Amino acid sequence: MHDGDEFWPNSLGRPVRVLSRLSQGVFARSKRNLGLLATVVGALILLAILNPHYLNLNNLMAVALQMSFVGTCSIGTACLIISGNVDLSIGSMYGVCAVASAMLAKTLPAAPAILAGIILGGLLGWANGAMVWRVKISPLIITLGTLAVFRGLALRLTNGFEVRGVRPSYSLFGQAQVLRVAMPVVALVVLAVMAHIILDMTTLGRHLYAFGGNREACEAAGINGRRLVLATFAINGLVVGLAAVLAASRFGTASPTFGVGLELDSIAAAILGGVAFTGGEGNIPGVVLAVALLGIINSGLISLGIDPHYSQMVKGGALIIAVAMDQIAHEQRERRRRHLAMQERG
Amino acid sequence: MAVKSNQPVVCCVGITKYFGGVRALNKISLDVHPGEVLALVGENGAGKSTLVKILSGIEQPDEGSIWLGEMEVKRLSPHRARAFGIETVYQHLSLCDNLDAAANVMLGQEPVRFKLGPFKFLDMGGSFAMTRERINDLGVHLPDLAVPVRRLSGGQRQAVALARATVRAHRLVMLDEPTAALGVTQTQATRDLIRRVAAHGVGVIVISHNLDDVFAVANRVVVLRLGQITLDTSLCSTNRGQIVACMTGMSFGQTPSADLSAS
Repeated sequence: MHDGDEFWPNSLGRPVRVLSRLSQGVFARSKRNLGLLATVVGALILLAILNPHYLNLNNLMAVALQMSFVGTCSIGTACLIISGNVDLSIGSMYGVCAVASAMLAKTLPAAPAILAGIILGGLLGWANGAMVWRVKISPLIITLGTLAVFRGLALRLTNGFEVRGVRPSYSLFGQAQVLRVAMPVVALVVLAVMAHIILDMTTLGRHLYAFGGNREACEAAGINGRRLVLATFAINGLVVGLAAVLAASRFGTASPTFGVGLELDSIAAAILGGVAFTGGEGNIPGVVLAVALLGIINSGLISLGIDPHYSQMVKGGALIIAVAMDQIAHEQRERRRRHLAMQERG
Repeated sequence: MAVKSNQPVVCCVGITKYFGGVRALNKISLDVHPGEVLALVGENGAGKSTLVKILSGIEQPDEGSIWLGEMEVKRLSPHRARAFGIETVYQHLSLCDNLDAAANVMLGQEPVRFKLGPFKFLDMGGSFAMTRERINDLGVHLPDLAVPVRRLSGGQRQAVALARATVRAHRLVMLDEPTAALGVTQTQATRDLIRRVAAHGVGVIVISHNLDDVFAVANRVVVLRLGQITLDTSLCSTNRGQIVACMTGMSFGQTPSADLSAS
């Protein structure tokens, strides 16, 4: 896993070694990611054959934009699950941040409204983390509670109506482009790269994996579990807040039903991307590939003129198949290892 | 074999601990010297684990004082104990199965290559080199440090846990039932490990039910019975019968220790 440092001679210096580690992290480390990549490419080729109009840059950009909001959230979700936690309330959090930011944007200038939405996400995430840490019960239950609370808050703030009449300048952020790439996609790419670097190369990332692997061992080793849990939930909240504000800003409006079911898509993408729900395993490139795959399935079915309701079923099926294949591969590896061990002992 | 100095690393005087109405420890006085392997034996519920927890700062004694080196510590916290150089290896090992050996050994004190804002970037090469050095010090054959520890054998895992403890424990290592889950060869390897740790001048406390362990590695034995020390002697001046007698309070045809009448 970490043989990059022995492979490259020291004279090549840090940049080369850093680059080699990064690229190793993206594909070579995990056969699973290669499998995902092959599936993505295969699906694209199949769609290109079935519908000659599917495979063009504009369409792919539209797919990327469509998936960028869920994709951004799934980066935060992946980090949380890797550290052995989960936040089910992100869909509702997304709704609250979007409506709160849009409501502020009716009177305030764009920048404070945008910042407020992101920071609100961080605060809500932090509150989830504080409760999960203090009440020693499954984070599933705590955040199931806040899922309802936050949704209720979004509905109460807006009385159930869509937020209209934001200042025009508010939309500049979400509709901006960098090198002709839409801002939400840029945000996803930047966050994914940052998350990958943090998980793979920093002590924080190492501690997240360790905490997901064995929480008691971490605390015995002097890692501050409380700080780690609070930080992960808060960062996840910031990420969700950013995605929500991008959506509200891009669409120039926000509805209290924004983000319903987002948590399920986000967790599905993380798991499909190879994050173990038990914690301690997974990587960002896998999650990004899974997000791409889900987006391609969704848009592909539509482009083939298939009832979009089927896309839900196909996505769910893909998740189950992926998890089943992981499980079978794991069992085969164990069996092979047992055989080897038995042969060694004669 | 052991280098005994006059200055104990850790010394506790008159430690008493109650759990509700139960007196788990009764006026325990114990000192551990550098390079000494002290076997702490006793039946279930004798207070061994409580004593270890007090020395590692997890539990606070109701009475008595703890001295770290020459300093009396009023309230020993786990953090304070760790800072002083006391580490405990628990029975369930406390390894992160999903991480490799190097990550486990350096967990919580990873070498840092450079900092960028709040993020500390790992020095992978340094981490592997330090782990390799530790593992070699312990005389363990572990060819690949980059394999998740769940794939290692019980003895290798024990070595990783002990290497981690000795990275930071320069004063005292406490091992809870180190050989309980191990086979014959692995038990032998673990006993060698313990001797090597002590040879570096670290005090070692081994909790064990296994008297073979005691006679194989310890140079001093302390027997606890019902929260009291019933025997504290160097290993060459005792025998199995006396230890068992002190553990159980019954004599098995051997001369019972003089302390026994006190309990």
